[in-house]
Amino acid sequence: MSTIQPLRETVPAPTMVLRPERGRRGIFGGRPMWLIWPSIFLLVVIIGIPLLIAIYISFLNLDQYTLRSWISAPWVGLANYVTALTNGGVVGASALASLGVSLAFSLLTTLLITPIGIVAALTVNTQYRGRTLVRSLYLVPYVIPTFVTALVWRQMFLNGTGPVDRFLAMIHVANINTYWLLGPNSFWAMVIADVWASWAFIYIMVLAGLQSISQEAYEAADVDGANAWQKLTRVILPQLRHILGLALLLSTLYHFNNFTLPFVMFGTPPPIQADVLPLNIYVSSFQLFNFGLGGAMSVITLILMLIPGFVYLRALRLGEVTKL
Amino acid sequence: MRKRKRDAQALLPPAVQIAAIIVLAIFVLIPIAYTLLLSVTPDTEIGGASLIPSHWAFGNYLQMWSTVSLAQGLSNSLIIAGVASVIAVILAVGAAYIITRFAFRGRRPYLYSLVGLQAVPSVMLLLPLFVLFASIQAALHFRLVGTYEAMIITYLTFALPFATWLMVSYLGSIPIDLEEAALCDGATRLQALLRVIVPLALPGMVVALVFAFLTGWNDVLFASVLTSPETRTLAVQLQAFSSAQEGGALPLYGQLMGAAVVSAVPVVILYMIFQRYLIGGLTAGGVKG
Repeated sequence: MSTIQPLRETVPAPTMVLRPERGRRGIFGGRPMWLIWPSIFLLVVIIGIPLLIAIYISFLNLDQYTLRSWISAPWVGLANYVTALTNGGVVGASALASLGVSLAFSLLTTLLITPIGIVAALTVNTQYRGRTLVRSLYLVPYVIPTFVTALVWRQMFLNGTGPVDRFLAMIHVANINTYWLLGPNSFWAMVIADVWASWAFIYIMVLAGLQSISQEAYEAADVDGANAWQKLTRVILPQLRHILGLALLLSTLYHFNNFTLPFVMFGTPPPIQADVLPLNIYVSSFQLFNFGLGGAMSVITLILMLIPGFVYLRALRLGEVTKL
Repeated sequence: MRKRKRDAQALLPPAVQIAAIIVLAIFVLIPIAYTLLLSVTPDTEIGGASLIPSHWAFGNYLQMWSTVSLAQGLSNSLIIAGVASVIAVILAVGAAYIITRFAFRGRRPYLYSLVGLQAVPSVMLLLPLFVLFASIQAALHFRLVGTYEAMIITYLTFALPFATWLMVSYLGSIPIDLEEAALCDGATRLQALLRVIVPLALPGMVVALVFAFLTGWNDVLFASVLTSPETRTLAVQLQAFSSAQEGGALPLYGQLMGAAVVSAVPVVILYMIFQRYLIGGLTAGGVKG
């Protein structure tokens, strides 16, 4: 009877491959390469070609009138890039300002969720009655669809009637009519909502890391007379270094690309303080119909994403693991 | 069975541990409790002096079906995300089988591109896909933007690389000996794949399927541009409903929150059922729509 195993709760730097057969024919006849062709075809058509089109568009003066014959739209060289980096659209911030918002947002959120995630993982690393319930509870905000999270926090932050304002007024910290969805506070509203929704990602990664640490490591530390703090900082955290690094990288990437939360929470056009880069691209392209400018901003984003992307690829060490 | 020694693994003093659990639980539960409360508050009492309404307006959960075309949104989301995720998983298993079993030219670039593609911002693909669809429909004179087909193709852009990546790491952990045994017994490659590998890879396929489905279910970006009123997904309908409440006479926040609960509950239940398997998938890519 084949036993169905759950996925290992570790980071799948894929523990591939066995022995890829070399040469055109293996011991067991031809290789069924046709299995991979549909995937390759689709990837080229739906991602490869669109990526090239995106880069091409970024050099065009393309709007809703020239869209119909976009191939022959006027070529403007780097003008879109200059516009993107110097001044903003009619509404919203310039790409440079948006880049600042996005960077601050993704780094700050990651910084805030890390300690929460680590502490949460530590609270369920020992056995006690009700642990399963606590683990499930921790996952709930993370698995709720982002558009629902955004709707919920929009209500939480409504000025005058939302619970946040009510609470702040009750403890005499702020006026009951403090605006969270407009103006400078909107950045913080977005950060708080995102922290609520995403801390469980760090929690899951750390928990997976904790489960790969052997019981003996803890016991050895006990024998050596380490207290809880020493055990955490000298034994546990060093062993979590790699998985935590990966978690922080992925988290930063994910937050940087988060479009849904600010889009649903603030609507368009968003407050300048919450005008993250994906949202700015969206508004420039599909509400102001300046497709060229949107394309230029996209290319800038892609180049920025490639930097942590390369770090990620190196961390996975595909080549060494797969021996290819 | 060896009984785990509680002391050795405990890193937090019991009091700190309990306090941390309570604080986290409150943090998690407050917005959820408020959502549930708001969903049964009569519209006239929202923003009143008290958070607790004078009576429970469970009618919100009935009225919302006619206020927003929720049922249509639900079925659109189910069809689009469902078909896209099934196609993605089937193609992913085939591709992952080749990648993990054979050496071929371009294998490593292919693996790299799978990871690299996940770093591509989705908003970057939306614009060219829109342009591509628009020019195809202008050239061939049939409607593409706003159809199920266009949405399914679009959702494959992120479902396929992710599902392939998951299946590569999953198939890689299945020992090659099993299928070699089948091949020695005279099975063809395809038979070995379908009779030996697929049954073993089923948990991984479920994870890939659920994740691919949920990224589609959760998407607002693509659906807000590429759907028409008839194919509008649940997420976009709720987003439109939400922004329609601004500046209106009496905001229907109760019904809005009721609809939000209805779109979140199936997802939460799905995760809880498959929790054991899904944790592995969650750590795999950190992909979340």
